[in-house]
Amino acid sequence: MKPTPLTIAAVIAVVVTYIRAIFFTPYEAVQGPVQKIFYLHAPAAWVAFMAFGLVAIASCLYLWLREDRLDRIAESSAEVGVVFTTVVLTTGPLWGRPVWGAYWTWDARLTLTLFLWFIYVAYLVMRSALPDRAMRARYSAVLGILGALLIPFIHLSVYLFRTLHPRPIVMKPSAPSLPGEMLTTLFLAFASFTLLYVALLRARYRYAVTRDGANPAEDHRAR
Amino acid sequence: MPDNSFYYHTGYAVATGIYVVYAILLIVRWNRVKARLPGKDE
Repeated sequence: MKPTPLTIAAVIAVVVTYIRAIFFTPYEAVQGPVQKIFYLHAPAAWVAFMAFGLVAIASCLYLWLREDRLDRIAESSAEVGVVFTTVVLTTGPLWGRPVWGAYWTWDARLTLTLFLWFIYVAYLVMRSALPDRAMRARYSAVLGILGALLIPFIHLSVYLFRTLHPRPIVMKPSAPSLPGEMLTTLFLAFASFTLLYVALLRARYRYAVTRDGANPAEDHRAR
Repeated sequence: MPDNSFYYHTGYAVATGIYVVYAILLIVRWNRVKARLPGKDE
């Protein structure tokens, strides 16, 4: 697999984001250095929601049109989404420990995000367990759509339930409540990790096309 | 200001590690599947 211009651009954008976040963005006065995890944690959550949203859209279209490429898009986006959700679920506790005094609490935001991760891990496991291609695509599409229904609840959970997790400071109806330097770094992080998602999604889709080309008629248990 | 650099550095290391490991696994799987395509280049 040769690196494409998109992949190279994504890697450069992420490296630039790291450099800006680490060396050119000030520490937050109350939380100290650990607040900089924000520049990885929030964009990873945004990308994960976007990835699972694409799974739902591609799955709906698959159930309507029955085109294999839509199933491949959903499969690829689900796998990349699980990677980004894993980043959310590992960086969050590392940020929470010094700020909240605990790595984990079973509040709505954290628990629902963990459920989302389980649903899409189950989605990937189910795909590898079903030998019939049409059945696998159909079942996956239904699970992919149902899983994405959690996303609005996760976003709104900080308003609906009492939770330790802070409310959004950028994606909210009023103006973002962040100083300019931090806001610039955050927007750069959103853009660069979105680019990384697109590059990974494209690579994963190309892998799925090649895999199906290698086994046009048989099942794809070896994934 | 509290000194919690350990969590900050660990967070960046873990997140970067997850992305890098996934990219490597994707390349490994790609090469394995490509090897099953006789006479076909990328």
